[in-house]
Amino acid sequence: MSVAEKSWKFADILASKEISARFEQVRRWFFLRESTYDMTNRCNIRCEGCYYYHGDKQFAPENGDPAAWQALMAAEKARGVTFVVLAGAEPALVPELCRECYGVIPLGAIATNGLKKIAKDIDYRLHISVWGNDITSRTLRGAADMLKRQIENYQNDARAVFVYTFTPANIAEAARVAETLTRHGLKMTFNMFSAPVGYTGPLRHNAASLAATAAMMRQLLRRFPETVLFSHYNIAAHTNAQGLHELFTCSYPRRNPSTAVGLGRSFRQYRADLNWDRAAACCVPDTDCTDCRHYAAGSAVVTARMYRHAENPQLFSAWLDYVDTYLAVWVKGYEKSANLLDSLVKPPTAG
Amino acid sequence: MSAIEQTIIRVATIIINELKLEDVTPETFNPDLDLVDEVGIDSMDLATIALSIRDEFAIRIDEDDYPKLTTVRIIAEYIGDKLKEK
Repeated sequence: MSVAEKSWKFADILASKEISARFEQVRRWFFLRESTYDMTNRCNIRCEGCYYYHGDKQFAPENGDPAAWQALMAAEKARGVTFVVLAGAEPALVPELCRECYGVIPLGAIATNGLKKIAKDIDYRLHISVWGNDITSRTLRGAADMLKRQIENYQNDARAVFVYTFTPANIAEAARVAETLTRHGLKMTFNMFSAPVGYTGPLRHNAASLAATAAMMRQLLRRFPETVLFSHYNIAAHTNAQGLHELFTCSYPRRNPSTAVGLGRSFRQYRADLNWDRAAACCVPDTDCTDCRHYAAGSAVVTARMYRHAENPQLFSAWLDYVDTYLAVWVKGYEKSANLLDSLVKPPTAG
Repeated sequence: MSAIEQTIIRVATIIINELKLEDVTPETFNPDLDLVDEVGIDSMDLATIALSIRDEFAIRIDEDDYPKLTTVRIIAEYIGDKLKEK
């Protein structure tokens, strides 16, 4: 009988000192409760397939009143939110609002294109979006010298993680980007382009691009272990032919009617006018759920499915690698450990 | 002590151990407390508790059933039903 076929008790899985230690390490962060906030409806660039500029949320009028944001954060803290994600459209354009958020809830991350430097006193994790080399970025995002300017802004900045979004068109150039980031001592993780609802452009992944992306991710994980914050199980989960919702049943309110416990109970996605809509609430609103392989979605959706991964030591180790990666990517100061597994494991079915 | 009362004690023991609750024993744990609203457990706590229950009672808990498991008594009844199905 193989390890995978044996019926394992959870206690027996935790009998491994290595697994038990990693579980205790990540478990300390189970208190994180996230919500996300569109800070402004403005952006200094326009990217092909940007999910922010799909759907209604882009038309929400901005609330630029710092006092209103401070009050919102206080209310969010009171209802148990411990981690904020400041996103859409470009938070760096409203540093005074980001600062208000940081003053009330100091754990969080900002999704930014990295072209306008965010002051160091806003000490959140910074996710700097990279869509390829500077030629590709020029084409898809309409901005020149993006990586060069991003690196200039965030060289030696412990807040920064460069998030490389794989599309069918930029897979090969990821290697050169990883080399460049490694040369500058910067951290990198991976995202998958996930099509907005109704998107018919060329960036939607297909079977061939998923396979090629997985191969490139494995190569970069092997070549740049100090730079790349990722695991083999991240690769398995995010390059699967099935999207995250089909694989793991998304637990964000948009796809989860239950308000009893977990994300369905606590998660909100605020628009720039400080309103939110449960029917639209997820980490990447207006993304086509059938195509969603977004890193932010996986960070919550895969992590929430601990029970189904506690089937055997190998599968649970894969889940621990995923959670360890999630924490290293999102929580400033959390150090990524060496992955427990160095091979791909197939995601489990529900049960 | 009835079977359901025994199960309540065993479930309360698991919860106390997993959450490292102090100032309460399995016997004094109110089985009708709302675990989310009154005890303050979250989805990851619930998953950990579900795994301990899986070990203790040799039953599987469907992830879709988590939202229903709001009190120790309801969990004990759920376990009883699962054991009857075996």
